[in-house]
Amino acid sequence: MTKKSMTRREVVRVLGKSALSALPAAALAGGRQQSAKGPVPGPLLQVAIVPCPDYGPETLAAAVRAGWRSSRPPDVRNKRVVIKPNMVDVSPDRPIHTDPRLIEALILHLGDLGTREIVLAEGTSHNRDSESLFRRSGYEALAKRRGIRLVDLNYDDIRPVKCVNPRATLLKELYLPETILSADVIISVPKMKTHKLAGITLSMKNMFGILPGMKYGWPKNTLHWNGIPLSICEINGTVKTHYSIVDGVVGMEGYGPVMGTPRKVGVLVMGDNALSVDATAARVMGVDPAHVDYLAMAHKIKLGSLRREDIAVAGEKIEKVRADFVLIPEYSLLRAPKG
Amino acid sequence: MGPTKAMLSHSLPRALDFIKANQNPDGGWGYRPGGQSLVEPTGLCLLALKPRGDKAAMIKGLDFLKACQKDSGAVGINPQDPEGGWMAYAALLAFHDLGAAAEERRLKDWILNFEDASSRFTPADIKAIAGDYRYDASIRGWPWTLNTTGWVEPTALFIIALSRAGVPVTDKRIKSGVDLILDRKVPSGGWNFGNPYSKAYELEASTMSTALALAALGAAGVQEGRPAVSSGIRFLTLSLAGDTSTASLAWALLALNCYPTGAALAPKVSARLAGQQAADGSFRQNLFETALAFIVLSDTAILVRTPGKGR
Repeated sequence: MTKKSMTRREVVRVLGKSALSALPAAALAGGRQQSAKGPVPGPLLQVAIVPCPDYGPETLAAAVRAGWRSSRPPDVRNKRVVIKPNMVDVSPDRPIHTDPRLIEALILHLGDLGTREIVLAEGTSHNRDSESLFRRSGYEALAKRRGIRLVDLNYDDIRPVKCVNPRATLLKELYLPETILSADVIISVPKMKTHKLAGITLSMKNMFGILPGMKYGWPKNTLHWNGIPLSICEINGTVKTHYSIVDGVVGMEGYGPVMGTPRKVGVLVMGDNALSVDATAARVMGVDPAHVDYLAMAHKIKLGSLRREDIAVAGEKIEKVRADFVLIPEYSLLRAPKG
Repeated sequence: MGPTKAMLSHSLPRALDFIKANQNPDGGWGYRPGGQSLVEPTGLCLLALKPRGDKAAMIKGLDFLKACQKDSGAVGINPQDPEGGWMAYAALLAFHDLGAAAEERRLKDWILNFEDASSRFTPADIKAIAGDYRYDASIRGWPWTLNTTGWVEPTALFIIALSRAGVPVTDKRIKSGVDLILDRKVPSGGWNFGNPYSKAYELEASTMSTALALAALGAAGVQEGRPAVSSGIRFLTLSLAGDTSTASLAWALLALNCYPTGAALAPKVSARLAGQQAADGSFRQNLFETALAFIVLSDTAILVRTPGKGR
């Protein structure tokens, strides 16, 4: 396996000239690994694609167990685990948010593994009424049923943390919730969706939701002004996601992340490196991850890898489960060729 | 039917006990007991406590808010925040109500100059936004945070606070904020965060955004006869028939009291909100919501003195 390090010229092109002095050493050739980084060179990254045809509790339990076993899961014994679902909004007709039945299966699985505490945490992005959204999404009832804390990250205690890329961005510091900063393990559980401003939204984009609305607003407009690809990379470069599970049982295609239509795929995509999980899920959606701006940028700054040859896929083959999601015209060029 | 006299005289004051018991040592309040002190819950808790006249608690709380004010007059989310932002609305309400005249004057000036970054849009940007989201991005409102664009809710909150603090509703910034709110209405009624459409799709209105928009329009003297207001009240009435959060109920009560049709519906909403008070006196163990609920159940004029209602 050959790995090409990012050159100074590439860094300047992707992040701007002033980024050079501010990027972590790990982002450049021969650099030191930074704490929020994924595994860079070395052995193949491991991602599991697990069949999961429906949201039945037995189906989900078996799929989560199988995917966990066949990827490289974090050690969660005696750890405080924060689960970050995706809940940009809630609709009875459209699968906008991560299905609570998948979250419940994960909670039960983590409980079996001996976690110390499990927290379900989300910071909704444009509707400030999280009490209502938590109720309508089923997360409130789930948290009560399973005796776990449900945290509204929009109003959590916060602390500024130096951004991985402080000189080339509006986000000199990221104000982050204590629930996230004090987590031993963060598990991102997004919905498999297309996105009108980012092309697709999976594990890395899901992390927009950890930024507190009380500091960044509803919508978190600073992230838009900063540029969505850059913001995604800066958040994921600063905060490490330890494991990702993409809810592709039923995803959303077309005009996502809110106004799209349901698309049944029947899989979970799981792994410890968010970029590689996203790249694999993108391929399942019929999207070339190298054409998705933020995934390409994340690859260049070594938040992991999106290259097929760097990712060992366990479970189903991508070609077998590939379901070409309907893309809006602006993103039609993201389509991956067949075969 | 509204809350009974017994509810108001016996239960409601317990909200103040809850607020008082959860003041942080730095003088401020967090959203939850023991949480970091922040400007929004602190401002509202001070407004709620004022009628009780607990001077020591109020001085400490006011000192916390004063510590949040920068040399520029800006107020952010807490004393450490280097920038001003949307929570300044709550500080302005408190500075005004508690007679911190110098701080109020500086903050008012800052809010009136708090830039809506849409002023940086090119004509091409404005045209593109008009095509995709169907609103006029040349109309200035207020953003949530520095260097971002105006949205419905911060615009509404600043209109409520500025008009309560005596800025005339004819002020050009308030008038422009009113125009922004009217321009961003969802065609089938009500408001959301600020995008009525996304391409071909009409986006849904929400209870909280609609309540805040209506309260701000009421504070600015916009009459019920305006189609946006009447359809907003219709949306609000329908949405209140379903499951509604505590904060949305409280803002809705404030909004309904601004209009004759709404005022007729208010007693029912008032009873529903009062019924959500917990045994410890709080509303959902949330200090901001407890203070807001207390204020709107006891006297909505603390937040909005509707022009034309003679208050």
